[in-house]
Amino acid sequence: MSETQDDKWGIAHVHASFNNTIITITDETGAETLAKSSGGTVVKQNRDEASPYAAMQMAEVVAEEVRAQGVEGVHVRVRGPGGNQQTNPGPGAQATIRALARAGLEIGRIEDVTPIPHDGTRGPKNAGF
Amino acid sequence: MRVAVTGTPGTGKTTAVDRLDTDLAVLHLNDVIHEEEFVVEHDEERDSAVADIDAVADHLDGRDDVLFESHLAHHFDADRVVVLRTHPEELERRLTDRGEPEAKAEENAESEALDVILSEAVERHGEDSVYEIDATESDPEDVAAAVEAVVAGEREPQAGTVSFLDYL
Ligand SMILES: Nc1ncnc2c1ncn2[C@@H]1O[C@H](COP(=O)(O)OP(=O)(O)O)[C@@H](O)[C@H]1O
Ligand SMILES: [Mg+2]
Repeated sequence: MSETQDDKWGIAHVHASFNNTIITITDETGAETLAKSSGGTVVKQNRDEASPYAAMQMAEVVAEEVRAQGVEGVHVRVRGPGGNQQTNPGPGAQATIRALARAGLEIGRIEDVTPIPHDGTRGPKNAGF
Repeated sequence: MRVAVTGTPGTGKTTAVDRLDTDLAVLHLNDVIHEEEFVVEHDEERDSAVADIDAVADHLDGRDDVLFESHLAHHFDADRVVVLRTHPEELERRLTDRGEPEAKAEENAESEALDVILSEAVERHGEDSVYEIDATESDPEDVAAAVEAVVAGEREPQAGTVSFLDYL
């Protein structure tokens, strides 16, 4: 990570559900959306491949869009375990981070902010990253 | 046979299970965890006891012909795992109506939108043992009947049948 004063950085918010992934890139305050890719466009013929593959493609698109806006790197906030019997944080999230890096974005802090179901009791937190 | 009934708080597990016609012994695991103090620490932020999963597993060990209900039920050995689903907006409304704090209603609704419990259940038990039931539009009697059908072997396993991402 080489974050200097004049580098423009963003936050990549990755929402990974059981069989879908949504990626939104905002500015560093989270207030302004710079690029958004909805999982709705995902083709799901082969579910084992669909999630990481689609996430990768979406990541490439949003990475291009924010690089065109002068963004050098992103911090990544992952919400959601992702699905299909993979280990946390899910194939979509991992594929997304790799694709963002491959598209030339620097990757900063990676945070797992998956919500925890709770009702007076809760489970132990998953290992996450 | 051991049956786990799980789902995000507010999906109607306790309500449905109380209406169940079954020969299985019914356990409300949240009550067991509090009564037996199967707790490793307290989550101050969420005002929740962090459950001692191993201690609960020991408590359930050797018990057959039992149905246990809790949003933690999928963490334990079971032959069939029912995952109740409710659209996050309806779920948030139910929890708020039940008098829960807004932060708790919201975090649970977000968990439901992201399929957190479904994913954990499938990861732990595999898709062949998971029975997802969308209870958003069902009244408690219908939900109870659907659970009875799972117990009777009259339903096929399924997972990933709902998408609640529109909530986000
Ligand atoms: N099928 C249903 N339709 C409408 N409301 C329901 C239904 N099942 C439960 N509720 C209501 O939603 C709230 C949460 O139900 P509860 O059974 O306590 O959920 P859980 O045990 O899954 O946390 C309660 O106020 C209950 O009356
Ligand atoms: Mg309950």
